[in-house]
Amino acid sequence: MPLPLGDDPADREQVLNPITAVEAILRQPRRVMYQLRQPGAGQLIGSMLFVTVLCSLVYGVIVGSFSGGTQWWAAPVKISVGLLISALICLPSLYIFGCLSGAQARLSEIFGMVVGLLMLTTILLIGFAPVAWLFSQSTESIVWMGVLHLAFFAVATGFGLRFLDAAFSHSQARSPVGLRVWVIILVLVILQMSAALRPLLGTADDFLPTKKKFFLNHWGECIRDSERAGRYQSRD
Amino acid sequence: MTTPAAIPNPREFRTLLSGEATTLADWAGHFDWRRIGAHVTVILIGAGLYGAAMGWWRDPWQALFVAIKLPLILLLTALGNAILNAMLAPLLGLNITLRQSFAAVLMSFAIAAAVLGAFSPLLAFAVWNAPPMTPDVKSSLVYGFIKLSHVVVIAFAGIVGNARLFQLLAQLGRSRAVARRVLFAWLAVNLFFGSQLTWICRPLIGSPQLSVQFFREGAFKSNFFEDVSHTTRRFFDDWD
Repeated sequence: MPLPLGDDPADREQVLNPITAVEAILRQPRRVMYQLRQPGAGQLIGSMLFVTVLCSLVYGVIVGSFSGGTQWWAAPVKISVGLLISALICLPSLYIFGCLSGAQARLSEIFGMVVGLLMLTTILLIGFAPVAWLFSQSTESIVWMGVLHLAFFAVATGFGLRFLDAAFSHSQARSPVGLRVWVIILVLVILQMSAALRPLLGTADDFLPTKKKFFLNHWGECIRDSERAGRYQSRD
Repeated sequence: MTTPAAIPNPREFRTLLSGEATTLADWAGHFDWRRIGAHVTVILIGAGLYGAAMGWWRDPWQALFVAIKLPLILLLTALGNAILNAMLAPLLGLNITLRQSFAAVLMSFAIAAAVLGAFSPLLAFAVWNAPPMTPDVKSSLVYGFIKLSHVVVIAFAGIVGNARLFQLLAQLGRSRAVARRVLFAWLAVNLFFGSQLTWICRPLIGSPQLSVQFFREGAFKSNFFEDVSHTTRRFFDDWD
C-alpha cells in the first residue's frame, strides 16, 4: 500500500513554475500528484500544459526535419494539436471509468493527471530528440522513421502511463480495470489521430488528408509503397 | 582542446581504472569541469590511439581519420544521450542530476577508452606483422584474425566500462536492482545511438577495394538497422 499523499513533507513542497514541474514529475512525481489535489491546482496544470505544448512542438520540428519544406511547421503543429485533442477526447471516458471504479477524484484532478501523462511523455520525447534527429538525417525510408518514432512514442507513453497509474492508485479506486481499458482507448485514439493528421512524415499537397483512412490501413499502404520503391531501386 | 588543467592526474587515472566505487560516486556527485576535461582527454587519447591502430592497416591517412572518428563516436554518444539518460535514471529509481548522469557515463567511456588505448600497441603490432591490405587479403586468415581481435578488445573494453558503471550506479542508488535497471536502459539507448554514429563514421578498418575517405559517399543515406534488416531479408530470400 503506497504512503498516502502529503504524509511525506516533500510531497507538500509547492510546484511554482514549468521548470519545477518538469523536475518534480521526473524526480518526485508524488509532489505533482499531491499538488493536483490542492485548491489552486490550475497554475500547476497550466505550467504542465505549457511544457507539453513546448516539448511537442520541439519534437515536431525534429519529425518535420525528415522531409523539410512545409513540414518544418506543419509537423510540430499537427503533433501538438493532435496530442491535446486526443487527450480531450479521452478525458470524459477516464472520468467515467474513474467514477465507476470508485475513485475519489474531481474532474480537474483527472484532467491534471492526463496533462501530467502528456507532459512526461513529451519531455521524454525531447530526450529522444537527438537520436531521432540523427536518424532523420541518415535515412530516406519513411517506414523506418515511422517505426522509430512509434517506438520512441511507445517508450515515452509507457513512462507517462506509469505516472497516471501511480496517481490513480491514490484516488481510492477499487479496481484498475477501468484505467487499463482507458489506456487502450487512449493509445488507439492517438494512433488514429496520427493517421487523421497525415502526413507527419513525408510530403503531401494538402495540409490535411482528403481521404479518411484507418491507421492500420495507412501503415499497410506505406509499407507496400516502400517495398515497391525498394524493388524498383534494386532493378535500377 | 587539452589544457594543462585537463591532463589526467596519474593517481586519479588509477582510481578511475580500479573503480573505487565510493571515490567514483564522490566524483560524480561533485561535478568538476577539470575532471570532466581529464576524462575527455583519456577518451581522446585512448580511443584515438586505438583508432589509429585500427585504420593503419589500410593507410596512414585512414589511421588519422579513425583516430579522430573513434573518440568522436564516444563523445557524441555521451552528449547526444545526456538528457535522455538523465531523464531515465530518476524514472527508474535513481535520483541523480543531469550532470551526475553525464559524468557517470563519461567515466565509463573513459575507462573503456583507457582499455582500448592500452591494447592499441598490441593491435598495431598485429597490423605491422600483417601483409598489405590488398583485395585478396580479405579471404585470408590474417584478415579474420585482425577483425576478430578488434571484436574481442572492443567487447572487453565495453564490459569493463559497464562493470565499473554498474558499481558506480549501485553506490549512487544504494540498490543493485535499481542500478541494473538504469544500466540496462542506458546501455540500450547508448548502443542504439552509438551504432548509428558508428555506421555514419564508416569506414573504420577500411576496405582495399574502396578509396581512403573520412566519410563514405552516402554516409547519411541509410542507417545501420535498415542495413541489418536488408541483409537478414536477403539471407532468407537466398535460403528459399
